[in-house]
Amino acid sequence: MTGKGRYTDRMVVLGLVCMLLVSVPLPAASKLVLDVDNPNLAKMPIAVPDFVSSQPGTLSGRDLARIVKNDLYLSGLFHIVEAVPPAASGPGGEPNFDGWSQTGVQALVLGTFSVRGEELVLEVRVYEVALKKLEVGKRFTGHIRDHRLMIHRFDDRIMKHLTGVDGCFCSRLAFVGDAQSREVFVMDYDGHGLRQATRTGAINLSPDWSPDGWSLIFTSYANRKPDLWGLDLRSMRMDPISARPGLNASGRYSPDGGAIAMSLTAKVSPKLFILTSQGHIIKRLTNGMGNDISPTWSPDGSAIAYVSDQPGTPQIYRIPVNGGQPTRLTFGSAYNTDPDWSPRGDLLAFTSRVNGRFQVCTMRADGTDLRVLTDKGSNQDPAWAPNGRMMAFTSDRDGKKLIYIMDVRGEIQVPVSPITGKSPAWSRNLE
Amino acid sequence: MSPRYLIQGALVLIALCILLSGCARKPIVRPDVPQPQMAAPYPPGMVGEQDLQVVQTNLKTLYFEFDKYTLTPESFAALQYDAEVLNRAPQLRVVAEGHCDERGTSEYNLALGERRARAVVEQLAALGVAPARLSTVSYGSELPADPAHNEQAWAKNRRVYLRVVR
Repeated sequence: MTGKGRYTDRMVVLGLVCMLLVSVPLPAASKLVLDVDNPNLAKMPIAVPDFVSSQPGTLSGRDLARIVKNDLYLSGLFHIVEAVPPAASGPGGEPNFDGWSQTGVQALVLGTFSVRGEELVLEVRVYEVALKKLEVGKRFTGHIRDHRLMIHRFDDRIMKHLTGVDGCFCSRLAFVGDAQSREVFVMDYDGHGLRQATRTGAINLSPDWSPDGWSLIFTSYANRKPDLWGLDLRSMRMDPISARPGLNASGRYSPDGGAIAMSLTAKVSPKLFILTSQGHIIKRLTNGMGNDISPTWSPDGSAIAYVSDQPGTPQIYRIPVNGGQPTRLTFGSAYNTDPDWSPRGDLLAFTSRVNGRFQVCTMRADGTDLRVLTDKGSNQDPAWAPNGRMMAFTSDRDGKKLIYIMDVRGEIQVPVSPITGKSPAWSRNLE
Repeated sequence: MSPRYLIQGALVLIALCILLSGCARKPIVRPDVPQPQMAAPYPPGMVGEQDLQVVQTNLKTLYFEFDKYTLTPESFAALQYDAEVLNRAPQLRVVAEGHCDERGTSEYNLALGERRARAVVEQLAALGVAPARLSTVSYGSELPADPAHNEQAWAKNRRVYLRVVR
């Protein structure tokens, strides 16, 4: 082979390699590298113009878009851009990508819907503006009264597709009333669809969801003492789980639903025990002279974090479920309570007394990297969302106790309960 | 029926009423005043509602310092008095209701209230009240005696209230 021929071969190979590189799809410009610890996380700019319909029935395209915008905003990962939609381009009414690009949005949600009688047909599309590409397209058909759930389901898909993070928009919150009514209430995570779940006429406290989302456990004074009760949300039947003498409090389901950790009075002090979900004691978990309460399970079920005042003030400890020594996690403040273990396993949220008031904080599961997330009023009792990206908590910053939700960094904090309430619990995401 | 039996029956009834009314109005003796020997405890099954109310109003509430479940000297003295009252009414059971002020968080306050109630019943047992009569109910900070948000209210709320029941 002559020298010139070899050079030509090399060029052809180089050319082929270059073509291959160009044709491989580049990583989507909009996919975020999600790092909760990154203080410079850039939120994705997204626009959701009002949904369009020729047969809207009783629904408003503006309200439907608002549900999408609220979900994406609350996740803390999106920046909602309110822009006048540029004129549609193309014969099929395709989005005017160049026009949208000028508004700064990276992603675009366009929805159309039609109502026929009680049936709602919803079509939603998500586009990547820079790539001029349809990312997600879905059609939902359902009863018009389920329109919120249909949109929440789609928002879970948007979230997962654009960020890699599971959405939690189809989940619900349980909490107890704080004023006239101390009953247990359930609502959508965003505060809609409030339902009263108990009619005990008594004080009720500390609800916890079963992992399958079909029942609640909570402490009730229905029998004039604090007992642990279960409520089946399908039959609305309440049954006692533990009615032992003394305290039966802060019941928490294990991640697989097979066990309940809770605080029972042992001689002189409340101590932690593990029980079956039927209420039979499996074993005692904590020893020593402290008053122990508020267990929370690690997501793999191997450890429990809890509160003990053994050192003189309430502090947070962790202990292996199978036995072993407790490890103290909190040291700074003289009062640390209400731990909740993130479903991602990385963080614990808890209440800490800071300058005389209570604030919601997070720390790593080894007690390091303490962050104070709230500062207005008094805030306590955090409960993680199932995707570990949001929390519900109680705040009195408006003068009365309300349920608030916030993203994991505490950047967005909004009230969601339409009535006074405290002690929230966050259900799994319902499909 | 003959009128004579009726009159006899009425006389017996009147005599009984006078006798019983005398018993019902017997006051509870306060231990710090020297008194003659107390009457025997109530016979079984004969605790009337009025007697239960009298015992209840005579029992002192025990108060606690902030974040503490140990008995202060004042509480200890009040508890000694309560033990005397309870030992004179052995047919009555006692529920020690433990409470906290609002300045803690909800679940920990349940534990603290329970611990306070346990401290009280342990001490009552040591002072001779049969343990089988004693039980505890914690209300944490859910039922303040005084809903105000100041030191006076908080001091009134950190308490164990002894409720007598049949």
